[in-house]
Amino acid sequence: MASSSSSGLTFKLHPLVIVNISDHYTRVKSQMNPPPPTSATSNSNNSNGGENNQSPPRVYGCVIGVQRGRTVEIFNSFELLYDPSTHSLDRSFLEKKQELYKKVFPNFYVLGWYSTGNDAEESDMHIHKALMDVNESPVYVLLNPAINHAQKDLPVTIYESELHVIDGIPQLIFVRSSYTIETVEAERISVDHVAHLKPSGGSAATQLAAQLTGIHSAIKMLNSRIRVLHQYLVGMQKGDLPCENALLRQVSSLLRRLPATESEKFQDDFLTEYNDTLLVTYLATFTNCSSTMNDLVDKFNTAYDRHSRRGGRTAFI
Amino acid sequence: MNSVEGLVTQIQGLSSTASDVLSLHNVLKQADDSLHAESTRLLPFLDQLDPSKHSLGYLYFLEACTAGPVTTESASSFVLIIARFISSCAAEQIRLAPDKFISVCKRLKDQVLFLEEPLRAVAPMLAAIRKLQSSTENLTTLHPEFLLLCLLAKCYKTGLSILEEDIFEVDQPRDLYLYCYYGGMICIGKKYFRKALELLHNVVTAPMSTINAIAVEAYKKYILVSLIHHGQLSTSLPKYASTVAQRNLKSFCQPYVELANSYTNGKIADLEAYVQANMEKFGSDNNLGLVKQVVSSIYKRNIQRLTQTYLTLSLQDIANTVQLNSPKEAEMHVLQMIQDGEIYATINQKDGMVRFLEDPEQYKTCEMIERVDSSIQRLMTLSKKLTVLDELMSSDPMYLGKVGRERQRFDFDDFDSVPQRFNI
Repeated sequence: MASSSSSGLTFKLHPLVIVNISDHYTRVKSQMNPPPPTSATSNSNNSNGGENNQSPPRVYGCVIGVQRGRTVEIFNSFELLYDPSTHSLDRSFLEKKQELYKKVFPNFYVLGWYSTGNDAEESDMHIHKALMDVNESPVYVLLNPAINHAQKDLPVTIYESELHVIDGIPQLIFVRSSYTIETVEAERISVDHVAHLKPSGGSAATQLAAQLTGIHSAIKMLNSRIRVLHQYLVGMQKGDLPCENALLRQVSSLLRRLPATESEKFQDDFLTEYNDTLLVTYLATFTNCSSTMNDLVDKFNTAYDRHSRRGGRTAFI
Repeated sequence: MNSVEGLVTQIQGLSSTASDVLSLHNVLKQADDSLHAESTRLLPFLDQLDPSKHSLGYLYFLEACTAGPVTTESASSFVLIIARFISSCAAEQIRLAPDKFISVCKRLKDQVLFLEEPLRAVAPMLAAIRKLQSSTENLTTLHPEFLLLCLLAKCYKTGLSILEEDIFEVDQPRDLYLYCYYGGMICIGKKYFRKALELLHNVVTAPMSTINAIAVEAYKKYILVSLIHHGQLSTSLPKYASTVAQRNLKSFCQPYVELANSYTNGKIADLEAYVQANMEKFGSDNNLGLVKQVVSSIYKRNIQRLTQTYLTLSLQDIANTVQLNSPKEAEMHVLQMIQDGEIYATINQKDGMVRFLEDPEQYKTCEMIERVDSSIQRLMTLSKKLTVLDELMSSDPMYLGKVGRERQRFDFDDFDSVPQRFNI
C-alpha cells in the first residue's frame, strides 16, 4: 500500500500537530476503564474479555493548515468523533468545528485527517473518500503510539491517495510521502518542555544529567563490546572456536595501545582524584538525606508532639 | 481429659497444610481456656506431639503447661523442653500466635534466671528471635529479653551480633527503649563507646508522650558515655527529641549534669572532689564504673587539647600541664592513646620529646574508595526509605489537620470558625 508518492508536493509538519495527536491518544487511553493489569501473569485471568486485553484505542481527528502552491504546511489539528457503526467521522461536528476555526484562523483550511495505529488500513479509505468533498486530495497523518526505543525517527507517517490501476481496476491507494518538521519559536519551547530537556530546575542540572547520561551509555556500550571480545577469546582458548590469527593480531595491537601511562605517580593522582569525586558525591548524598530527614522530623513534630508550640498561634477572638 | 486427648488428635491431624493450620488455630483459640484449666496434667501429652510438625499445637500446650509458678524441679525440665521446642519449631506456624510464643520465651527467661544460669537460654533465645522476626529490620519483644540474658551471662559478643542489624520497624515502643538501653550497656561493656552513644541517644530521643524511667537511666549513662567519647556534652537535646524529654530529663539527672560541667572546666582536682562527694548517688545507679572511666578520660582529653596547640612537647611538660605525677605516667598515657588511634604522635625516648603528627590518611587507596562507595550505597537506600516515610507522613491525617490550622492569618476576616480542637 505504501510506495513513495509522485505528486511532488512537499509537506511541512508542525510539532503542535504531533503533540496534539499524542495528547488525544494518551488521554483516551488513560480514561479507559478498567486500566490494564500490570502483573505479568495477567494472561491467565480472562474475566473481563475484550476490553482489557488490549487493542489500543484508535483516535481520529482533522488536520488543518495552509497550502501554498506545491507546499502543504500542516499547522494545527483538532479531534473528531468517530461513529463506529457507519465507519465514518461525524460530519456535522466537523463542519461546526471548521466554522469555529475559520473565525480564529481565517487562512487555515481542512487539509486532511489523522489517526493512530501501526499501519494504514483498508477501512481508512472510507474516511479518506468521505473527506474528499471537503478537500480534493486530503492527507492522512498516522501516528504509531507504540513506544519503540530502538527506532530513531518519529513514528509519524503522512499518506496521500493516488489512483492506481491494479488488476485493471482503478483504485485509490495510500502512498507514503516524505515530510519535514517546521518549528515556530513557541513550539520549540513547548517541545523542549515535553521532552524534559528543561524542567523547572533550570538548565544547569539537566545539562549535567544529559552529559552524564551520554557518558554512561558510552561506557555501557564499551563494556558490552569488550565482553563480546572476551567471550570470543575465551572460546578460542578453550578450543570451541577456530583460531583466527588475524583477529588475534588485532586484539593484541589494541591491548598494546592500552595503558598509555603506567607509573606510581599516575596511580597516586588518579586515585586521589577518584577519591575526591567520591567524597563530594558522598557529601551531596548526605546533604540530601539530611534534608529529607529534617522535613520528616518537622512533620512528625507537627503531627504528634502534643506540646510543641511553634510561634504565631494566637487565641481565637 | 477427653477434650485434651481430642485436641491432641486434632493437632496431629490438622498440621500438614497451611489452610489446615489456620483452622487448627481457630480450634486452639477456643480451647485455650480449657487447656489452662488442666495445666498441671498436660505434661505427658507433650510427648505425643512433634514440635517441628505440630508447632502451633505444641506451642499452645506448652504455654498452658508453663503458666504456673516457677519451682526448682519444674524449672530445669521446662528449660530443656522449651529450648528443644524453639530450635525445632516451624517458623510459619508460630508466627500465627506470636504473643503465645513471646510469653513462652519470657517464661524460659524467668526459669533460667530462677536457676541462675542465664547462659543456657542465650542460644535458644537467639534462635527464637530469628524465627519470630518477619525480617532482620523488625524489632520484636524478644530482642530486649535476649540482650538482658546476654548482659547477665556476660556473653557480649552474641549480643553484639544482634546489635549490628539496623532496625526499621518496631512492634512496641517499650521494646525499643529497653533494646537500645541494654544494647548501650553491652557496648559499654565491650568499650565500643561510639555505638553505645548511638544506642543511648536513640532511647533519649525516642518519641514518648510521658517521661519514663528507662529514658532517665539511659540519659544518665548517655551523659557519662558522651563525656568519655567526645569530651563534651551538648547542652540541649536535638529537635527530634520529644518535648517531654527536652523539658524534664535534665531535672531528673541533676548530679550528672553538674559532673559534666566540672569536666568541661578541665580541672581534675575539682572533678575528683565532686565525684567523691556524690559517690553514693552514682553507686545507687550502678554507674560507678563509668564514672571512674570518665575521670580517667579527662587526662586523655587534656592531652588531646595539647595536640592542637603544640607541635612538639617534652614529656615533663605534658605531665605538668595535664597534672600527672611523673613523665613516666605521661609516656604511658601517650603510648596508650597512640595505640588506640586517638592521637598521632611519635615519642623520642632519647630526649623525652613527643612530636604530634597529622592524620596520615592520604585518601589515595583503593580501600578508601571501597569504603566511601559502600557508604554512599547505604546512604542511598536510607534516603529511599526516608522519602517513603516522608510521603506517608505528608498524607497522614493527624499532620494534615494540624498543619491546616497553623497557616498564616493576615486579615481579620481570615479568622474562620474552625474550632481549636477537633477529632479526626
